[in-house]
Amino acid sequence: MIRTIVGLIIVLALSVVVISSVPDYSLPSGLQGVGQDYTERGVNDTGSVNLVTAVVVAYRGLDTLGEVVVLFSASTAVVLVLTLVPMGANPTPSSSIVAFTSGVLPGSIVLFGIYIITHGHLSPGGGFPGGAVVASAFLLVMLGSNKIPGKSKLLASIESLAGVTFGLLGFWGMMMFGQFLNNMVLPAGSPGKLFSAGIIPLISLVIGAKVASELSGVFSSYRKAGGDE
Amino acid sequence: MNAQSLFYWSLAVTALGLVLIGLWGVLTRKNILRIALAFTLADTGVNLILVWSGFLPGRSAPIVDSSVSSMVDPLPQALVLTSIVIGVAVAALFVVVGVLAARKSGSADVRRMKELKW
Repeated sequence: MIRTIVGLIIVLALSVVVISSVPDYSLPSGLQGVGQDYTERGVNDTGSVNLVTAVVVAYRGLDTLGEVVVLFSASTAVVLVLTLVPMGANPTPSSSIVAFTSGVLPGSIVLFGIYIITHGHLSPGGGFPGGAVVASAFLLVMLGSNKIPGKSKLLASIESLAGVTFGLLGFWGMMMFGQFLNNMVLPAGSPGKLFSAGIIPLISLVIGAKVASELSGVFSSYRKAGGDE
Repeated sequence: MNAQSLFYWSLAVTALGLVLIGLWGVLTRKNILRIALAFTLADTGVNLILVWSGFLPGRSAPIVDSSVSSMVDPLPQALVLTSIVIGVAVAALFVVVGVLAARKSGSADVRRMKELKW
């Protein structure tokens, strides 16, 4: 009871602070600063039609490398914690609906994921969402089978290979132009085509492979740990 | 305040509401998995606020096709792409640590987890 009241008071106080700190309730007139710059120059600089991908992979590519490292350390921590303490033994058996769909759908889900990854510079998408879609197909397969997933060397090698490739692509730019992750080591091509936008599609592929394998590793260690004790 | 302005600010209020509901859940719930759920709710709300901050009413997604001057700001969307992935990673770790703590103390009730109290 006291917990609820204190929680409500804190939440209400915070909302009052936030609402009273809004200077004026008007509409923003237009883009300013770096956002304006990116929208004006993005296509010429990177060759990517999708400006969000241009910012994520080309302008702020180093941040994305750091983000991949964060994702890697989090998934490593999950796997580490779950393998240090063996918890479950028998995975919960899947229902017949899940078992049937897991035999039909994963192929098209993987295809869709690959489409999202490879068209990241043309339409909404890219390595992160596409990798998550591919990993969801893996999750469906795993939920459909009643076996505990074994230790996968393949996932770990895809993950490491993708991480190393990301770094090498960065150093490629360094060798050619003295700039880490320079996008123009490959030609920008004509914007809107599949093979354009420098190394953005390559980096999307690498990120997609890395995200898919990392999330799949997390799912399979969840599956190993779940079920009855 | 006209209709468009009302629409614009109601989006912000919705996102802020998600953050506050999540915060309230973290403060008042007792089951550690519900706390994790409330945490991800607040996370989603913060992401929505970030996306909203680059939103301009009547403009389209930042994908160049014909009209360059009618796009929203791509920068907050790129930031949120990062933020979503980090949120997933943190939530995955949160759930694992929560399940471990629940198995150790025999219940998912945070009031029984004495190791974190001082």
